[in-house]
Amino acid sequence: MKGNLNHNLTLCCWLAIAACASAPAPARAQTLLLKNATVHPVSGPALSPGDVLLENGKVRQIGHLNVPADRVVDLTGQHLYPGFLLLNTALGLSEIEEVRATLDAEEVGQFVPEVQSWVAVNPDSELLPVARANGIAFFEPAPEGSMIAGQSALMAMDGWTTEEMVFKKPAALHVYWPSMEISIAGRRGGRRGRAAGSAEEQIKERERRIKELADFFADARAYAQARDAAQTNGAADPGLNPPWEAMRPYLKGERPIMVHAEELRQIKSALQWAETNHYKIVIAGGRDAWKVAELLAKKNVPVIYDDIYSLPLSEAESYDIHFKAPELLRQAGVKVALSLQTTVFDAPFARNLPYVASQAVAYGLPAEEALKAMTLYPAQILGVEDRLGAIEPGKDATLFACTGDILDLRANVTHFWMAGREVSLDNRHTRLYEKYRNRPKPH
Amino acid sequence: MTPLRKILWIGLACLALHGAVRAEILPPGNRAIPLGVHALVGGKVVVKPGQVLESATVLIRDGLIEKVGPDVTAPADARIWDMKGLTIYAGFIDPYLTLGTNAPSRPATNRDSELRAGRFFGLPVAALDPGTPGPGAQLSTVTPEHRMAEGISPDAQALQSLRALGFTVGNVVPAGGIIRGTSVLIALSESNPNEAVIRPDVFQHVAFESMGRGEEPGSYPQSLMGVISAVRQSFFDARHYFLEHQSYEQAPQGRKRPPFNPASQALGPALRREMPVVFEPGSALMVDRAARVGRELGLNFYILASGQEWRRPDLAKGSGVPFIVPLNFPEISKMPEEDDWNAITLDQLRAWDWAPEDAAVLRAQNLEVALTTYELEDKSAFRRNLAYAIDRGLTENDALAALTTVPAKLCGVEKSLGTVEAGKMANLTVVSGKGYFDPEAKVMEVWIDGRFYRTETGETNAEAAAEEKPPEEKLGEQKPGEVKPPEAKTAEVKPPEAKAAEAKPARPNRAAAARELLKKRVAHAPLEGRGALTNPPALLLTNATIWTCGPAGRLEIASLLIEHGKIAEVGATVRHPAGALVEDATGKSITPGIIDPHSHSMILGDVNEGSLPSSAMVRIGDVVNSESANIYLQLAGGVTEAHLLHGSANPIGGQCCLIKLRDGAGPEDLKFEGAPPTIKFALGENVKQSNSRGGTRFPQTRMGVQAFYDNRFTAARQYLKAWDDFNKSARGGPVAPVPPARDLELEALGEILQGKRFIHCHSYRQDEILMFIRLMQSFSIQVAAMHHVLEGYKVADEMAAAGIGGSTFSDWWAYKFEVYDAIPYNGTLMHDRGVLVSFNSDSDDLARRLNFEAAKAVKYGGLSEIEALKFVTINPARQLRVEKRVGSLEPGKDGDIALWSKSPLDSTTVCLETWIEGKKYFDRSLDAARTAALEEERKALLAKARKALQAGGPNDRGGARARRQFFETALEHQDDFYNHDRDEGEFEP
Repeated sequence: MKGNLNHNLTLCCWLAIAACASAPAPARAQTLLLKNATVHPVSGPALSPGDVLLENGKVRQIGHLNVPADRVVDLTGQHLYPGFLLLNTALGLSEIEEVRATLDAEEVGQFVPEVQSWVAVNPDSELLPVARANGIAFFEPAPEGSMIAGQSALMAMDGWTTEEMVFKKPAALHVYWPSMEISIAGRRGGRRGRAAGSAEEQIKERERRIKELADFFADARAYAQARDAAQTNGAADPGLNPPWEAMRPYLKGERPIMVHAEELRQIKSALQWAETNHYKIVIAGGRDAWKVAELLAKKNVPVIYDDIYSLPLSEAESYDIHFKAPELLRQAGVKVALSLQTTVFDAPFARNLPYVASQAVAYGLPAEEALKAMTLYPAQILGVEDRLGAIEPGKDATLFACTGDILDLRANVTHFWMAGREVSLDNRHTRLYEKYRNRPKPH
Repeated sequence: MTPLRKILWIGLACLALHGAVRAEILPPGNRAIPLGVHALVGGKVVVKPGQVLESATVLIRDGLIEKVGPDVTAPADARIWDMKGLTIYAGFIDPYLTLGTNAPSRPATNRDSELRAGRFFGLPVAALDPGTPGPGAQLSTVTPEHRMAEGISPDAQALQSLRALGFTVGNVVPAGGIIRGTSVLIALSESNPNEAVIRPDVFQHVAFESMGRGEEPGSYPQSLMGVISAVRQSFFDARHYFLEHQSYEQAPQGRKRPPFNPASQALGPALRREMPVVFEPGSALMVDRAARVGRELGLNFYILASGQEWRRPDLAKGSGVPFIVPLNFPEISKMPEEDDWNAITLDQLRAWDWAPEDAAVLRAQNLEVALTTYELEDKSAFRRNLAYAIDRGLTENDALAALTTVPAKLCGVEKSLGTVEAGKMANLTVVSGKGYFDPEAKVMEVWIDGRFYRTETGETNAEAAAEEKPPEEKLGEQKPGEVKPPEAKTAEVKPPEAKAAEAKPARPNRAAAARELLKKRVAHAPLEGRGALTNPPALLLTNATIWTCGPAGRLEIASLLIEHGKIAEVGATVRHPAGALVEDATGKSITPGIIDPHSHSMILGDVNEGSLPSSAMVRIGDVVNSESANIYLQLAGGVTEAHLLHGSANPIGGQCCLIKLRDGAGPEDLKFEGAPPTIKFALGENVKQSNSRGGTRFPQTRMGVQAFYDNRFTAARQYLKAWDDFNKSARGGPVAPVPPARDLELEALGEILQGKRFIHCHSYRQDEILMFIRLMQSFSIQVAAMHHVLEGYKVADEMAAAGIGGSTFSDWWAYKFEVYDAIPYNGTLMHDRGVLVSFNSDSDDLARRLNFEAAKAVKYGGLSEIEALKFVTINPARQLRVEKRVGSLEPGKDGDIALWSKSPLDSTTVCLETWIEGKKYFDRSLDAARTAALEEERKALLAKARKALQAGGPNDRGGARARRQFFETALEHQDDFYNHDRDEGEFEP
């Protein structure tokens, strides 16, 4: 009986710990000094050993510091990085790909700019603490779809509610560029080739789709103009219309338009469209972006590159083309953020963001640029670089410590501070690990 | 034809027997039949390929050639035909003709697809009458009893268009299905079908056609490998059928009668080699498979060329049988923009550029070639395409043989057709000008069975048109029995060629320009630049960090010697044999080649035969894709071996295949010789169809999965016992015992029971893993490895105790409900409890960085680096039972290695070289040049294609089908790169 009681108590304690494990961080200490780490400010050269002083959720000082603090953490041998920003992900909007009830990433309709991803993020998704445990501090849940799929926000990996998690909303409008490919038959010998019509028909169809997209933006502009006129010179007010209203920040370039485009013709077509209309766009995906690196640089369009783990397009492309692509873009002067694919399948793999980056490093991208591609550059792309993306005095104290180089597969994250508060690294995986590694041998 | 007329014809045929010389007298109202004695005088007679009489007479009497020669004088009763300036060939024969009447005569089944496969291969739900309604095979796509000889009724216009190309005889083949039925050789004449038939049941036709027309997904077989298995099984069934019936006929008393099966019955002549089988393999690689299956079944067979034999001429040569070659070539569409042009792949362009050369490629392998109009949308493109084929090296003699003597021989009518010789059928093809192989020369007429047929030579000949009979005489409206009246001799005088040229001056020039352009091939052979890059007598790598993955552990600053393809020495100091290639590997790491124990790359066609709950009879080994670009891509990730698995759609999947990535080798030479056979099983959501719509097949629960296995292994035991009993049975009785029917499904399961074939089982949840372990133990089956096994960490002790390996993902999770408890610590936890653990890719892309997957075992759970690397080297080798050959760097093992820029577990390491059996297959330093050469070839081809389009020639005849064909992805390439065409859900992790 006693044993049983003990067992129950242990279980209760364990459950309590489990419940707390991924709970939002408790209130922060006033000042916290992180000592003797290799500090990667990202915005500047690494400092080793270096110290970082956090105060009221902000980084106050960085250097060799001998200052009093409410709490001091010795990080000898460890590395400090700013928390990563993962853009264009289904994280938060999906739990299990094959269980439809857990999916909130894709809405019906081709023109639904009023759809807002941040209201559908599950703060208790088991996927979030798993991603956080490898350095992801912020994520941008992106609606999927075709044409205009909706708007995203930048969310913190910390908070009791979606409202507490939202860092910036809206962050971007998501446009999925129509396919530009021409293919009029599938497999040789097979009977399953899709009947997509003749080449001529497909060419007409793609023109139609692009016009359709452009027309929607033109209509949105007309609406914005009418509403502006109603406010400024008393013209008749057309009245509030949610889809058109949702488009307004993007027409003026106040917020970026994420154009999801992989294929060369899509990217070129989107660039031309953006230039003609003076839209501020970001290419998301960008598989073939390296083919137009100069053009992207000239037009100052950043790329969120998510195709490192992709096969070449044909035998006439080198096997490592997508490993090299970020470096090819960087050398041309394009700002590149790295990400995994937006798909629901990739959401649970968010923790592998640093390894996507290390693959690019192996094939040429300088390591410091790889780090920027997960911190500073995504912050700049979403216009939050004043607070996020680097360890700098005045910026948010969102950073993590790691047993080694975060790009190294063998290293592990040991501490994570979100705006100065230490958050737990426990997650579904560590809990199951602890449970089953302690399974007694069966008789 | 009305019944009345048919009766009339039969009557006339009887009459003809009595008075051979006299023409039949038709009832009034019909046009009287002309006499049958003709002397064709003064033409150039091509007696057979290579034998030409410059001016000779061909004497025809009653449908046969009576005499041929320069000195033959026309007898008094002959009608004289002046053939000056004309060339007379033996009438052409198309051995693979479709005439729009080829559909199986019996209605297709519309039964519930789940029931359609019937009892075939142990489907537990059996319809009473599976397959097509009535007696027959249990698969509706297996209709060997279907005879084109019954119901053939060609359309007059179709016949006319073939005669216009010079064809006089065609072998009409059945279309649709896998084992399709028999073809019939007919004269392309305007006569009663009974008379037109020259030979019924010429060939039995077998096509590797997956998902036949009119078939819905869900019925067996739906994959290419399933088709091949169905072919094998059908012939085995037939063989057994005859044994059983023979035995029964000897002593029917007191025995149960064997079942009647017209499908098995119909395969008898093919099995006895009395009837050749024509395989339509559909792709260059399947040519090899068709030949191997044909030999395995002991058939006399020919092959319908895929048109892409140029991809692997060696495989075509290996078949050693005659080919029937269609002349349908892909044609390019005009692209609107530069980027659209640029999106055309090298392989598409190669297929376009090589197409006309295919026939010459086959001849160069010393194979017999017959030509056919098959697959040509517009048959009139045949002669133009033939000209292209000749431009590309097919000699005119070979071309002529391919139209006459070769098809005559293949169709078994060489005694009566194929040459212009006395005693043969009076079938002649008469051409003006320079002869048939000049596309401008006209086919003026053909003779079939001694009857004259004018061929409409087209729009150009105004003079001929003026002399044409009024429209009511058009051939299409002719009544059977009517024959066009012979023209007066003057009408046969052919206009000089100059006139034809004058009539349309622009076209020949354009066509000539196009032809000139197409003459020179720009595309390289796909095999060029493949194969081993270096093959030194010995390889010595020095000063490297060597991860032996064996007892020696990791050696710093050590050397490795490979000799004769095997590892000779590993250590601080090794021998330096003379002539060895020495590479200084200072600072670099050497590991055993990576072994991917779970791959779906390099597979031709579908990965799943998911139609039946057990597809143990299908073999990945039948459909290994040696042309896959993934071979090179994975070599570039240090991979040397890949275990190619069937998908996880059913509890009992197919037989798997372990290959070595010897790029450039054919499918058979990729196979890891001597590797113990394996088979894929699967548990959980996929097999119970949880995530697919409309699943109704047994099993639908994990309970059913166990019940199903229990059923099949019990059946397999019974099957083995039946064979055992047969082998032990007393011989010499009055009736020889009949062996049990060979069943390929139960045979494979029997091999598992006998310990000759090893199970690799897809699994996720701990309950199902345990169920499987216990059930297999009850059958005394030693399972090789549970795959994926993402909850293996929960039952690691039980797995270890059962000696079952775990081949898992490093960190996949949450893509389906049964993997919600998957954790990245799985590999380490299982390892710590004594399970033999490997990591696998299950992905064309992930296979390229399995070393990084191994590193994740260090990160999650703190496994040592040396043990972690074993997850992708020696451990998978042990799971596959090939650890004596590969997986570690120990003397005597295969020289399969990867050379890395730094530690293989460092996430910024790069694979520099990959060697298999002492030959280098990948070298990073050569990759840029390799890619540049391919891109240069693509650019050159693109330029040629655009020029060809401007010339207009190649794009004006083939029609939409030829243009569509250009975009079709060859089977060999369809699942590589971005899988645009891969069906969703084709295989799931």
